[in-house]
Amino acid sequence: MLWYKSWLETRWRFLIGLALLMLSAAAAVAAYPRVVQLLPLVPTMQVGGVLGRRIREGADFMRTYRGYIWAQWLRQSLANMMTLFAVLLGTGGLLSQASGGGAMFTLSLPVSRARLLGVRAATGLAELAVLAFIPLLVILLLSPGVGETYGIVDALVHGACLFAAAAILFSMACLFSTVFHDVWRPALIVCAIATVIGICEPFAGELSRYSLFGIMDGEIYFRGGGVPWVELLASAAVSAAMLFAATSNLARQDF
Amino acid sequence: MSDALVIETSDLRKQYDGVEALRGLTLQVPAGSIFGFLGRNGAGKTTTIKVLLGMVRPTGGSVRVFGLPADAPDRSVEIRRRVGFVNDEKDLYDYMTVGEMIRFTRPFFPRWRADLEQRYLHKFELPADRRIKALSRGTRTKLALLLALCRGAELLILDEPTSGLDPAMTEEVLQALVTHVANEEMAVFFSSHQIAEVDQIADRIAIIDRGRIVVTGALDDLRENFRRIQLVFDHDAPEAAFRSPGIERVQRNGRVLTVLSSAGSDRIVEEARALSPASIDIAPVTLKEIFLETVVAED
Repeated sequence: MLWYKSWLETRWRFLIGLALLMLSAAAAVAAYPRVVQLLPLVPTMQVGGVLGRRIREGADFMRTYRGYIWAQWLRQSLANMMTLFAVLLGTGGLLSQASGGGAMFTLSLPVSRARLLGVRAATGLAELAVLAFIPLLVILLLSPGVGETYGIVDALVHGACLFAAAAILFSMACLFSTVFHDVWRPALIVCAIATVIGICEPFAGELSRYSLFGIMDGEIYFRGGGVPWVELLASAAVSAAMLFAATSNLARQDF
Repeated sequence: MSDALVIETSDLRKQYDGVEALRGLTLQVPAGSIFGFLGRNGAGKTTTIKVLLGMVRPTGGSVRVFGLPADAPDRSVEIRRRVGFVNDEKDLYDYMTVGEMIRFTRPFFPRWRADLEQRYLHKFELPADRRIKALSRGTRTKLALLLALCRGAELLILDEPTSGLDPAMTEEVLQALVTHVANEEMAVFFSSHQIAEVDQIADRIAIIDRGRIVVTGALDDLRENFRRIQLVFDHDAPEAAFRSPGIERVQRNGRVLTVLSSAGSDRIVEEARALSPASIDIAPVTLKEIFLETVVAED
């Protein structure tokens, strides 16, 4: 029944996220024919530096459907929205419910705090997995509608990358939710951390593909580097460590 | 640890950021008793209850419920399986309906009493499909009580169960509680600052003040043993140093010397006669007076 409770507590965040991400995926597919029409109008630029390379690359990527989906949707809209919803799903829990939200009732149940947090985290991670894979499934299914195809392996690998990186943000939000007694501070702190990482990434050179958002958009895989197993496993380890820290922190709390 | 005790604390201490909420609290609650836990707001009642349920870790002393250490997380889970609890805020899950809340709670308790669930749903007239957010405080209290009573618990822990209720609702809740306990083998430990309701249903009490127990015992024994001895003198009352045991408080006010005794009033009266008072008056003391004398007088 704890699963049911966690679902009730997070369902609106999850369902709104799912609807928005699916809508975003559908819009990206629908916009592709227009992008193809406009591509010849894009001038060839010769701008130096990291940003110049990125702009040139962006234009080049759009010449293929796979590149367009990655550069225009997966690396931008989807990554931003996944960040937001990973943080929203990770916040909340016992501490924020301590004043009038049923925390005392929950704590009077014959359940350990580790199990309470475990079920909450597992529910959130399951929802996060759906948010990561379903929009890519939408791309997969709608692509024939614009005369294109999107590979199922691409969808699976990018879904896994999205999930693994978003899980880090989710776990971080879970951890901060065992420190602060409100929902907003954990959310704002994790969003601030994600923003700083995002700002610093363009200046990290080749290392940027190993950063949080580099893993999230699956750049290594997209550029032909194969499935980034090490990065995925490292992300899982970081998430697990933060969830463990959250569990330990919760166990020490007085309510 | 005696088998006859459901709660036993010894020198229990809890400190929050340098403030001592519990200062060596020693308490014994026998099985089968209705134990009233009286104290002013902020005296340490809720902290004690939270320690019993493993929600707060004590900083010192020992605490056992059913003989199990309540400060050990794994044992605390076992304790909570055998305890019904109603907290003072009656904070339940606002987003659930009454029916969902009951269905959510039921599977956690293997000894859940489906028969009582139906009985109290009917008796308390609880609307199964209404959201908890929309319930009045009284109805919310009744639901919280249902969820506690149906657990098949051996011990009910109630933190200010009637707080915020009107007199009629308070009476209804107390009657339901007394009737339930009369039919089931269980102990009740309930905190309150409402002396009248403790006097009405408790058979044993403890009075807590500033984190320690100042009076405890069977209510009948307390009524039997506590006496106010008033000595009136022809002149200003003398400074008296009584040596008899059982003296709780001595108060001088002009020609009157008032002694509150918790035991051995006969011996105290004998000692008082040596002071040659003009008159001696011995009167029984109500629970309210015991409370006021032992708690408020400390200010």
